[in-house]
Amino acid sequence: MTEHGEIKKLLPHRHPVLLVDRVLEIEPGERIVTVKAVTGSEPCFAGIPDDAPADAYDFPASLLVESFGQSGALLWLHTMAEAGGVPPGVLIFAQARDCVIDGAARPGDVLRHEVRISSLKPTNVFLTGETWVGDRRIASMGSAMAVIRESDSLSPAPASDDTAAPAAATPMGEPA
Amino acid sequence: MTAQQQAPNAERMEDIREIVTEVLEIEPEELGDTDLFIEDHGADSLRAIEILARLEKRYRVEIPQSELPKMVNLIAVYSVLAQHADWQD
Repeated sequence: MTEHGEIKKLLPHRHPVLLVDRVLEIEPGERIVTVKAVTGSEPCFAGIPDDAPADAYDFPASLLVESFGQSGALLWLHTMAEAGGVPPGVLIFAQARDCVIDGAARPGDVLRHEVRISSLKPTNVFLTGETWVGDRRIASMGSAMAVIRESDSLSPAPASDDTAAPAAATPMGEPA
Repeated sequence: MTAQQQAPNAERMEDIREIVTEVLEIEPEELGDTDLFIEDHGADSLRAIEILARLEKRYRVEIPQSELPKMVNLIAVYSVLAQHADWQD
């Protein structure tokens, strides 16, 4: 079992965007099972009015897929680290296809992602799997792709006043 | 017996066209055999990798990533596949 602090040694994501809490099972090159607890104090539930309907607290699909993708990235990075090292560059969630979300997770639920590697290449990986809440499957992910790209091969992000969010791929101080 | 350069098998060609157009998010009839994926249909390196991965899965072959630059259109994809899957027809 891998605890939260160890996850941070592999994944570049940080609070509140690090959406994997714990690794339950991992088989390098094959599969990973992770959990992410959904709570009422998630930033995505801030500011919801008191009279909002119950489904206002459905964990957003975008974050669900991101959490699944991070779990797969963790499996991939762990696999590469064991095999000799992670290539330099920026980790990118490149694509998701055939994802069906047919259930909801709300505060108090624990997401369990079961992710498998369907294709493994030196700088990209294809993932597939399901997300469960208890014995209820709430999502099936047909194909998700992650890549690692050298930061100098990426275009700089548009200029922004928001100094709190420099993109890792953006050379600092360059005009857009 | 040596493999000879022959006209693409029509059924396989249509199968490949379907896989590629699904990734490019266009209709099969929009993609001509010699249309360039990047120049004519706006593909990028990520789409190219996706096409490669889908073909590998469909035909159960390993295609090295170094073949990607060759796979510019359907005809070229067919010939790379024929070589790696050892198609004789």
